[in-house]
Amino acid sequence: MITQRHSPARQTFLGAAVAVVGLAIGWGATSISSEAGYAGVGPNFLPWVVALALVCCGIGLIRAARAGGYADMDDLTTPAAGPYWRGFAWMSAGLLLNALLITHIGFIVSCALCFACAARGLRGAEQQTARGWAVTLRDAFSGVAISAPVFWLFTQFLAISLPALTQSGWL
Amino acid sequence: MDIWQQLLGGFATAGTPINLLWSLVGCALGTAVGVLPGIGPATAVAMLLPITAKVDATASMIFFAGIYYGAMYGGSTTSILLNTPGETASMVTAMEGNKMAKSGRAGAALATAAIGSFVAGTIATVFVTLFAPLVANYAVKLGPPEYFCLMLLALTTVSAVLGQSTLRGLTSLFIGLAAGLVGMDQITGQARYTGGVPELLDGVEIVLVAVGLFAVAEALHAVLFEGRVEESRNRMGLVSMSALDWRRSIPAWLRGTAIGAPFGCIPAGGTEIPTFLSYATEKKLATGDALAEFGTTGAIEGVAGPEAANNATVTTALIPLLTLGIPVSNTTAVLLGAFQNYGIQPGPQLFSSSAALVWALIASLYIGNVMLLVLNLPLVGLWVKLLKVPRPQLYAGILVFATVGAYGMRQSAFDLVLLYAIGVLGLVMRRFSFPTAPVVVGMILGPLAEAQMRNALSIGEGNWLVFVQRPMSLAILLVIAAVLLLPRLLKNRAARLKS
Repeated sequence: MITQRHSPARQTFLGAAVAVVGLAIGWGATSISSEAGYAGVGPNFLPWVVALALVCCGIGLIRAARAGGYADMDDLTTPAAGPYWRGFAWMSAGLLLNALLITHIGFIVSCALCFACAARGLRGAEQQTARGWAVTLRDAFSGVAISAPVFWLFTQFLAISLPALTQSGWL
Repeated sequence: MDIWQQLLGGFATAGTPINLLWSLVGCALGTAVGVLPGIGPATAVAMLLPITAKVDATASMIFFAGIYYGAMYGGSTTSILLNTPGETASMVTAMEGNKMAKSGRAGAALATAAIGSFVAGTIATVFVTLFAPLVANYAVKLGPPEYFCLMLLALTTVSAVLGQSTLRGLTSLFIGLAAGLVGMDQITGQARYTGGVPELLDGVEIVLVAVGLFAVAEALHAVLFEGRVEESRNRMGLVSMSALDWRRSIPAWLRGTAIGAPFGCIPAGGTEIPTFLSYATEKKLATGDALAEFGTTGAIEGVAGPEAANNATVTTALIPLLTLGIPVSNTTAVLLGAFQNYGIQPGPQLFSSSAALVWALIASLYIGNVMLLVLNLPLVGLWVKLLKVPRPQLYAGILVFATVGAYGMRQSAFDLVLLYAIGVLGLVMRRFSFPTAPVVVGMILGPLAEAQMRNALSIGEGNWLVFVQRPMSLAILLVIAAVLLLPRLLKNRAARLKS
């Protein structure tokens, strides 16, 4: 593990992003009615406050970044080889596939897939030698062993609906 | 005597077998999430919010409360045996507790943490029992201007005062307020920022934000930046204390409770300040051998005091939550969300309109503390086994539970995409040292504060002076000004004195 320096350029970019979010909220606020009643302020008041505040925060962040970086930051620790984007991609794929497939292949299978992808990414991050497809298959079974009881607990015992693969409601 | 009657009624409700079971499951689950790194009570409660659709209010609040304070017991186990705190509240426990464990006194450290948590939790529950009804009685007299100022105080402290940077804290707060804007305006019923999507009329689900920011972001951070974590585990020994340990622990517990309990009641958020204060106090009061142990072989007072302070704070934090409807931390914000799912708005009326629920909840705190003592003293070996779960499986498992929470709430696959997006946002926030608590508290409290503000202005017929014309709201505004300005003035003065 190494400790990295914070990059003022990235901090400037983040500040700009915050300001843009503020502008977007301000743009949205223009279409909200200002009908105020007795209060003198209507439903568009807080949106304007938030928009203005975010733009100010964004400018403040940009200024802080230009002046040498944000103050009092946590240490940025990174693996010596740099951020492990391959693992990030595995985990993201697991989560997004889960969103895509859950209504089609059911909660248990979809979550097991997500579990296997995420575990594969994390094993890579830990530089474990044991990360072949056999290990991933074993992880998929672990995923089923976790998601199946959760599924039954929620659907059968607590009557909360989660998508099933079959009509029986057990798979 | 009225309180006594009500409390007995509460025990009758909380003592039914089914509610006892909910409490036990909650306490056990809370201990587990406290022990496990990477998942805390706020995340756990948020993931389980879907149960509010089916389980009755009393049972689920007893369950959530069990998770809430159970996590405080479990957290100390991890910080003593592993050098990574299980949850932020045990950061201070990790300092001395880990040193004690390294010098072979892990058993005594675990015992003083568990018994201290019990002592402080129970005393603080008595405090809640006696004072919550009084505060509620008084709070009935507060009008919208006072409420708005109190909420403003909570929002200010959580974002601007705690944490490393006021600017980043405020940015987080306004992101949270922006998320809270989505949905129907509470007063006029007008849709805001819904983009015509009907699901968004009810607002952004708190589950998505809490679980995304805490659980998903945590997992993404682990895979991207944490690499291989070398963890050294300390050996456990017999969990017991000698007569000397008792003599040294008891005063530290009581002092910790005395420091922690008031902190929970005020909207100052979090357990960091009271635990550090208690640690500093114990270190200052230590003499002779005990002083020499601080920072070297580990002093038992340094575990006993902060652990007690921590539990006292989280317990009394229920007072502002129940009597004013003001959450002061992540977890209490999520608990407020749970009440809202039942259409219950915590506040002074809660003690009259939902008296049975409130008193059952308070009674369950007494029962839960006893359960947790048993779960954490004789059964501590069981929880330690959880520390053996390898990180890949642990984080992958957390993601499965995140799916349950996010999907179970609204049965929408789109919410899972949103969950991922919020997770990425949380990752960026963590990488750039933005605090996440203001987002959650802002999102929950923002719409309530807005409604109070507009009601207050209606009373004042549009005149903003309404906030300074009433003595109570003026006083709170002055407190807000003080918490914002005092730290800066002191800092400037210190800088001037130095130069």
